[in-house]
Amino acid sequence: MTEATQSVKPEKTGTTLRSIRTKEQITGYLFVLPAFIIILIFGLFPILYSIYMSLFNWRVTKGAFIGGRNYLLIFGNWTNLLITLAGIALIIAAFWVWSNAFKSLSRGQTFARIAAAVVLILGGVVFVTGWGKMYETGDKLFLNSLIVTLYYAVGTVPFQVLLGMILAFLLYQNIVGKDLFRMIYFLPYVTPSVTSAVVFQIIFSRRETSIANQIVGFFGISPQKWRFESTPLLNLFGANLSGFAAGPSLALITIMIYGVWTFVGYNTVIFLAGLGNIPKETYEAAEIDGASRSEMFRHITMPLLSPTTFYLTLISFIGTFKAFNHIYVLREPSAADSVITASLLIFNNFYRSNQFGVATAQAIVLFIVILGLTLAQNKLMGERVHYG
Amino acid sequence: MDKPVITSPTPKTITRGKASAQTIIGRILTYVILIAGAIVFIFPFFWMISTSLMTRGETGLRVLLPKVPQWVNYTNAWRQAKFSKYILNSTLITGGTLVGLLITSILGGYAFGRIDFKGKNFLFGLFLATMMIPESVTLIPNYLLIRGSIIPLPGGTWLNSYWALTVPFIANAFSIFLLRQFFAQIPKELWDAARMDGADHLRFLVQIVLPISKAPIMTVLLFGFTGSWNAFQWPLLVTSNDKWRPIMVGLWSFVTEAGPETHLLMAGAVISLVPILIIYFLTQKQFTQGIATTGLKG
Repeated sequence: MTEATQSVKPEKTGTTLRSIRTKEQITGYLFVLPAFIIILIFGLFPILYSIYMSLFNWRVTKGAFIGGRNYLLIFGNWTNLLITLAGIALIIAAFWVWSNAFKSLSRGQTFARIAAAVVLILGGVVFVTGWGKMYETGDKLFLNSLIVTLYYAVGTVPFQVLLGMILAFLLYQNIVGKDLFRMIYFLPYVTPSVTSAVVFQIIFSRRETSIANQIVGFFGISPQKWRFESTPLLNLFGANLSGFAAGPSLALITIMIYGVWTFVGYNTVIFLAGLGNIPKETYEAAEIDGASRSEMFRHITMPLLSPTTFYLTLISFIGTFKAFNHIYVLREPSAADSVITASLLIFNNFYRSNQFGVATAQAIVLFIVILGLTLAQNKLMGERVHYG
Repeated sequence: MDKPVITSPTPKTITRGKASAQTIIGRILTYVILIAGAIVFIFPFFWMISTSLMTRGETGLRVLLPKVPQWVNYTNAWRQAKFSKYILNSTLITGGTLVGLLITSILGGYAFGRIDFKGKNFLFGLFLATMMIPESVTLIPNYLLIRGSIIPLPGGTWLNSYWALTVPFIANAFSIFLLRQFFAQIPKELWDAARMDGADHLRFLVQIVLPISKAPIMTVLLFGFTGSWNAFQWPLLVTSNDKWRPIMVGLWSFVTEAGPETHLLMAGAVISLVPILIIYFLTQKQFTQGIATTGLKG
């Protein structure tokens, strides 16, 4: 508007154009505003406020500023954390060496692999040392809950993705009643988790007449305590392991069974959609070229389905780390810490023990762990994904 | 991106003449696995309904079906657990949430999909980032917010109120993302024509865009409905009495109080499930399609 030197006509169109653009901008902001307010207040602000809370001795009300002491409770001392992180850094370095170093050398592959293996072992040792020290001096309950969470994730995600894939492949033939099958498979996913978990509570009860015990009894296995059993599964078979190697308790495995049962159908539906998106011409062309069914599966279906597999693995993994409702319902006091995942422990510290500061610090650590694992998964799997 | 094809026609089964016996065995095996899977998925439902009709004595025996269906279990459970109150609460909470959710996500989705404004991509990325944050992180500050400890709220505290159970959920990044994907695909020519006729964005949205967007809006509604009806952790936290307690928290308190009355528990579980089942069976295709849409990169 200050451009007085310009002739009248261009200035006029200039202003109207500008005012149209301004109007467009304002409309955009106005449209986004309602959602923005809610997401800002209940989605973004809490993250910052959590970090803030974690720095205080915060019980029900705010206490003194204590800096990183809530975090220190988790790790024992900072050196432990540094050692653990150094271990992780070495493992990442090993991966980097494996994939990048010595690329130009002709015999580099072997060197790279040996070097990577050495760094990997070193990293593993350093990590385990750091973790062991944290476990000694830090918050055992929380660190244990991270292990439980990891068990739960590793024990469910591969199964639900694989089973979902198999069922989707089978359904993707000329199947009579395909829609009915799909509807049934999907049913557990729509069922409210509290409802289905209450049903599983009773199916997997320790009563001798419970359905689970009747089923294993059919295979000649003696009745088990299921949700009530804190003994690691391997030890039930006579092994005598302890610590991480002992594996999940039978109670946690019960919860894993529930998890797989709930999410297989979801994976099936998404895999079906993924299969539907593979152009039929690709198969026809391959058939003309004389490809066999298994060749087509290996060279067409799997690569073109890999983005779906990747997506499902990723969100299932994040999902298991966030899981709360069904674990809360299925957990039994006698299963002790063997079923307390991180999200449950944080909830208990907050809701039962009123340790707001401690709980927020743990939540932040959990978030960073999820973020790290997601990034790692992205890197490891992402490179193998074929975006056609 | 094209609209993903969900129930796409099956590809021509690629077979070679020689393998006909093999194919038959393969097909039988396929059906056996599919049916076995179906039994595994459906069994807990069958067992829940069956148990809900047993006498208390029968629940302790190795029986799969009641001798005489005890329909009275349902009236007993209904009376013991105030299910009418819980269902009314959940209906009101779900209704309110959905109204808010529709407004915020339609407007937001439209703005992100069709209007150019400064900082749009940054803002959209920020929204999407909230989908990755675990509830553990946001739960505690949100509790304090609702308790009225961080900023003053009208009425002092929102604990045990309708607002606590609806307001935080009337917008989410997921719904906005879903609608944005759809709105962005609408041909530009439609907007140009509408603008010629003097329509602004709001009129274009209401008169042209919404009528052709029934499917994605339905998906948002279905997700919103199940999310709200199935909510447990948050309502457990912010309600301490029956005044606004929704169905899932009600069911849970019934479980902790009912003790060994398995048959009544299962009746309660069936009651809590019925509304979801009705919606699911009525909108089954839409439901699975909507889920599938979200699973494909867009």
